Amino acid sequence: MRNTPVSAPAAKSRPRLAARLWMLAVTALAVLTACGGGTAESVSTAVKDSSSAVATARIALRQDMDGKLTRAATSTTLDDELKEVQTSRSSVLKLSPATPEDRDTQKQALDVLDQCAAGFATARAALSAGDGGTPSLADGDKALAGAQDALKQLGDKVGSK
Amino acid sequence: MTSANQQLPIAPPVAGRILDAQVHLMDRQVLDHDGVPVTTVDDLEVSGPDLDAEIPPGTTAPVITALLTGAVLGTRIFGGRPPSSRLIRLPWKDVAEVGVVLRLGIKGEPLDASWVERWVRDKIIARIPGGRHDPR
Amino acid sequence: MKRILGVALGILTAIGGFVDIGDLVTNAVVGSRFGLSLVWVVAVGVLGICLFANMSGRVAAASGRATFEVIRERLGPRAGLANLSASFLINLMTVTAEIGGIALALQLASSVYYLLWIPVAALAVWFVIWRVRFSIMENVTGLVGLTLIVFAVALFLLKPDWGALAGQLVPTVPGQETIWTYSYYAIALFGAAMTPYEVFFFSSGAVEEGWTVKDLLQERTNVLVGFPLGGLLSVAIAACATVVLLPAGISVTSLSQVVLPVAEGAGKLGLAVVLVGIVAATFGAALETTLSSGYTLAQFFGWSWGKFRRPAEAARFHLAMIICLLVGIAVLATGVDPVLVTEYSVVFSAIALPLTYLPILIVANDPEYMREHVNGRAVNALGMVYLVIILVASIAAIPLMIVTGAGS
Repeated sequence: MRNTPVSAPAAKSRPRLAARLWMLAVTALAVLTACGGGTAESVSTAVKDSSSAVATARIALRQDMDGKLTRAATSTTLDDELKEVQTSRSSVLKLSPATPEDRDTQKQALDVLDQCAAGFATARAALSAGDGGTPSLADGDKALAGAQDALKQLGDKVGSK
Repeated sequence: MTSANQQLPIAPPVAGRILDAQVHLMDRQVLDHDGVPVTTVDDLEVSGPDLDAEIPPGTTAPVITALLTGAVLGTRIFGGRPPSSRLIRLPWKDVAEVGVVLRLGIKGEPLDASWVERWVRDKIIARIPGGRHDPR
Repeated sequence: MKRILGVALGILTAIGGFVDIGDLVTNAVVGSRFGLSLVWVVAVGVLGICLFANMSGRVAAASGRATFEVIRERLGPRAGLANLSASFLINLMTVTAEIGGIALALQLASSVYYLLWIPVAALAVWFVIWRVRFSIMENVTGLVGLTLIVFAVALFLLKPDWGALAGQLVPTVPGQETIWTYSYYAIALFGAAMTPYEVFFFSSGAVEEGWTVKDLLQERTNVLVGFPLGGLLSVAIAACATVVLLPAGISVTSLSQVVLPVAEGAGKLGLAVVLVGIVAATFGAALETTLSSGYTLAQFFGWSWGKFRRPAEAARFHLAMIICLLVGIAVLATGVDPVLVTEYSVVFSAIALPLTYLPILIVANDPEYMREHVNGRAVNALGMVYLVIILVASIAAIPLMIVTGAGS
């Protein structure tokens, strides 16, 4: 009688089945993670994050002008939100746009984000200039409002695609 | 040889408690006389014939001679056991009480089992100011 | 009179000690993105933490042993070690997040960069653990943390549309979010409310303060009154974010955004009070999580532990905590955003919940440890329901994290 264990084929197929399930799971996860790429979507996310940052900065400036926020808190808020804008900008910079349309979108996004950063620079200069100096907090708020409008226009353009 | 009408003597009641070594002794906390934790029980030393040796008739039953403790984390997870020389003995004669925890009848501080605690205390903690301050 | 004061102190400390950086950040994020549509998760989480904190306190009072000691004995070293590794690593992440939170709050107060505050905060945490008595430590941080009530005060001062707010309580996915992010943040909020370290700390704290079965009523009152009120505080944080930040399209990514609604409603005074409250609450939580790290290690390995002992008599316990704080400082020194660490720590807390809560349920039913104080049938039924909820949340967390890109 051949000394072949009866259970061997079944035992071998179980690890093989387990390995197949694992590969399936990993592939599924890889596909899911890869989904959500694309220039338009990345720019849209960057616009959303930056809008949130600019809106926060405007609220902080307004509260400072109303005397509701301390200088320390306002400057910390501006620093935090500037960091947010810079993160968005670097993520847009790292994109590899495929079509000329995407390249145009990327360039537009970078311009708008630069405008945001400039607005923040004005606001922070206004904070350190103190009350009644130039630029004033109102100037800073105006610069940020302009940046917010530009962001909204870009967001509408990218979102409508 | 007993004859048919001679009654067997009544079996003596088991003196003391019956313990399951795995459930009641292993991994239990060992406290010293003052209730200060010493270590956990990682293994047991049992006297008597070795494994795989023939047991001659009339041999006395094996007896626990010591609790063992040591660096057994790896072996408890992956299997195997360290050689007995790598484990620290807590002689069974020092055990005063077996309950939810095992209490020793002696102070734990001078024991071999506490050497890491002593070392950390003397070399690190005592050198930080306030290390011996009573917090209460 | 003294008894009433004692009971009041216990309750107030429980309220003030409930909120930590995880609650602050997660509730603010959720309020700014989902409105009040996730408040039901806070309610579920608060009920869960009441249930399990009560159980672990009862285990400690009835058996005189803290949870992790019992886990090792009852479940064996392999299961105990799995539990320990998961709990300890997540605890370490939470310690890092809390110390980061202290530093961020101090930066808001002083505009000194937060990285400079981190060694100061860690040193202060270590010093309190080293020298200050357990009860004083708990009471002071708990009572000062009570100032976070300013969130509720600010909410009233903002004069929101209460009807509209109440209408948001219905669990629906808001327009700009997806069901995936909704579920992800539900899990995050759940993990923020049912923090695992609370259980270790509660039961070890019971042993520290020498609770016996006579103190069970006090302990139950603290938990059943204090924690739900603490949950209301969490909801106030979310509501403030909903009223001020949601209409402006702001999603919370930094601690400064969390306090803006308070400044809006209550001005500079409110800002000062809330910063004091945040520092106290995160400091208290840093103490609790650091001590929990020490407790879990010491109780698993059988070391001598406890703040009631001199540091010289619990040397390895204190050394472990010092090392944990140093690791926390090192991680934060890499410049990683503490708010990001916080957001990850609450989700990983939710993932680790089954490992931490199942052993408690098992031990609380063991008559050898609990004698006549074993779980009643109602408690067990509720415990089983929560075990299912916890398992669902834990299993769903990582796939949701991948699908939503950690909530973005």
